[in-house]
Amino acid sequence: MLRRIAGSLFWAARYLERAQWRARLVDVNYHLLLEVPPRDAEPWEPLVRITAEQELFATLHSQVTEAAVIDFFVFDKENRSSIRNCIEAVRANLSPVRHLISSELWIEVNRLYLESPRWSAQTLAASGVSAFFADLQRHFYTIAGIIGNTMPRDLAYDLIEIGTMLERPDNVSRLLDVKYHYLLPRLEDIGGPADLRQWAAVLRSASAFEAFRKVYGNAIRVNRVVEILVFDPAFPRSMRFCIERLAGALARLAAEEGDPSGESPSCDELLTLLRNGSAEKTIASGLHEFLIGVEAMCARLAAQVFDRYLSLG
Amino acid sequence: MDAQRAGMSVPGLQAAGPQPINEMFEADGRARPECARVIAYLLAMESTRLAELGERAQRMFQTMGVTFNVYGDTEGGERIFPFDPIPRMISAEVWTGLEAGLIQRAQALNAFVADIYDQAQIVKDGVIPRDLVIGSPQFRHAAAGIKSPCGVYVTVAGIDLVRGADGRFHVLEDNVRTPSGVSYVIENRRIMTRLLPELIRALRVRSVENYPAYLLAGLRELAPRGISNPTVALLTPGLFNSAFFEHVFLSQQMGVELVEGRDLVCVDHKLFMKTVYGLRQIDVLYRRIDDDFLDPVVFRPDSLLGVAGLTAVLRAGNATLANAIGTGVADDKGVFAYTPAIIRYYLGEEPLLPIVETFLLRDAEVRAMVLRDLDRYVVKPTGASGGYGVVIGPSATDEELAQARRRIEVSPADFIAQPVFPLSVHPTLAGRGSDGKAALVPRHVDLRPFVLLGEKPRVLAGGLTRVALREGSMIVNSSQGGGSKDTWVLEE
Repeated sequence: MLRRIAGSLFWAARYLERAQWRARLVDVNYHLLLEVPPRDAEPWEPLVRITAEQELFATLHSQVTEAAVIDFFVFDKENRSSIRNCIEAVRANLSPVRHLISSELWIEVNRLYLESPRWSAQTLAASGVSAFFADLQRHFYTIAGIIGNTMPRDLAYDLIEIGTMLERPDNVSRLLDVKYHYLLPRLEDIGGPADLRQWAAVLRSASAFEAFRKVYGNAIRVNRVVEILVFDPAFPRSMRFCIERLAGALARLAAEEGDPSGESPSCDELLTLLRNGSAEKTIASGLHEFLIGVEAMCARLAAQVFDRYLSLG
Repeated sequence: MDAQRAGMSVPGLQAAGPQPINEMFEADGRARPECARVIAYLLAMESTRLAELGERAQRMFQTMGVTFNVYGDTEGGERIFPFDPIPRMISAEVWTGLEAGLIQRAQALNAFVADIYDQAQIVKDGVIPRDLVIGSPQFRHAAAGIKSPCGVYVTVAGIDLVRGADGRFHVLEDNVRTPSGVSYVIENRRIMTRLLPELIRALRVRSVENYPAYLLAGLRELAPRGISNPTVALLTPGLFNSAFFEHVFLSQQMGVELVEGRDLVCVDHKLFMKTVYGLRQIDVLYRRIDDDFLDPVVFRPDSLLGVAGLTAVLRAGNATLANAIGTGVADDKGVFAYTPAIIRYYLGEEPLLPIVETFLLRDAEVRAMVLRDLDRYVVKPTGASGGYGVVIGPSATDEELAQARRRIEVSPADFIAQPVFPLSVHPTLAGRGSDGKAALVPRHVDLRPFVLLGEKPRVLAGGLTRVALREGSMIVNSSQGGGSKDTWVLEE
């Protein structure tokens, strides 16, 4: 397969994951704020922080209001990572690889793409925020289902897997980090009702709420949330799950490689960390430092994958 | 038989002179023998079903995503190539004659290209003026010294034919650079087999599905010596090219990689593509981009579409390009006037296919004659293709004629003129009946067959029939509002 084509599949997957993630973030925050009277002056501010786009946001909006954040996350053409732009990037990347993906996948992505320019604050107000995001999530789950059910498990599928599984841990890490350090900074609030609501929202943002209930029952504790989102081997949005899948896909690529000169990108370091670690120990020694470390390792891995398999340079 | 209803009547041609023939009917209204069954079948259809054929076909094309891009069209540049469901028939006997003439022509043009970039013996022997060849905008100095392993430079030729008042096919122009349209031939047939399956079966129509296999065979035969299992790739300028759909189609049908310039790299005078697992050498490159964009080292330095060093790879004999660099010298519209002489010179045979009479305006006497009656000629720029810049005398406004006259006087060598040729007409579902539904009317058609040269010549049965959908129009180019028909060559 041509490197350009492989890169297209990889980036399509990353942008797809990013779009879905952002849709969920906004949706969950919106519903969280419905439940509690805002005592925080800027309840939407953490979202901008999670995506590390404060600077860009500040150039486009003077205040962090609900309308501004939704605009920034969903419609904004100036924000490269707005959902609309992500969807456009997914389509642009899939367009030259139409012969490698199923026609069902193309049709579904194209349908979403054709719909997205019609989105605006007005249409969102007309349909209702809940209905809008519910509809959007249905699109994303349909796409994921089509990928899982129509694509042969070959190189093209593995490249989509690699893109998805590199993007997802990064998003989970940012979510955890921001909640842990920026929300609710007062020590006496920890464990209080607001704190628990926020951790529940974190779980919902990662579609982990129900999975959490099944494993741990009712009681939401920080270390349990970290456990399921970072170290759980079975939950599909945990970091460990993602890196295990990534390692599998990378191993298949390396095995196919005819001329194995130099070292193939390896997940060993990350896997050791995630397989042997526990939430308790990690929180004790500093969650922030741990997450920063994981993000850096993911970034290094992404660069290695790019150099080895995708770069045209 | 209801010839009137079947679209026989010919609207009066503005220019006096020979009247166009109808491809399906004799002058007295009798069906031509090879068309009798199709006409009977169509006339037996209910008028609503007949009228719906076109819409059903368009819907099928839409679903299949068969499109082309239009240059300069920024808003939604993807369009469907209009399709007319009334098939164009060619009898086995007529086709046998055409096939021989097409092979003869492609072989002579190939020999001409080989000679021009080698000893140019034909020029030394005074058969064709030196300055006409060297002065052609398609002449490429860089092609000198590049040798094809099996002597084939023109791998793919698309030769445009028109049928005259005498019923004979004449050559209107040659396309031996990167002729396009063959994907529509194959897609048209796929649509027709779903639209009118019983008719196709009953008539025994020759298949066109074998073209990609023919093309791949021809390309593999071009591989540098000693390579038994060559790697072939198709080079496209990318998504925005008008024929991108065809590039995707052919690469898929042949099972070869569709590459862009940025996928390629030349190392040690060898051509490679960049794959996930490293560099993979390419032996034969079927290119669908123009010479000027192939290699920024030799041609346009600003081009990002090709790959630096390609010409050196070709010169070293480490890869073969199809079609070769500089083949355009053989489809130059000025050189066209000399093609009968070229056939006689290289093959020692009389041309089997006549050409449409062509006047070179560089000759002062000829120029004076043409300018006297400019409204009776079609004027074409020698360096353009795709119908761009063509002025059709009888239908041009006074202003357009005056402008053409000025341009000819400024640079006469850049133009040729051909007397208005009465292109044959064919019943086409492009009119409106009294009930407001689509109805059959006569429309002008041409034919672009495709000839492949390799160790042996191969010809696609039939070719692309293009039809000018507007009443009276003789411009069949897809970029200028033309459509296409399926072409049915009957088995013996």
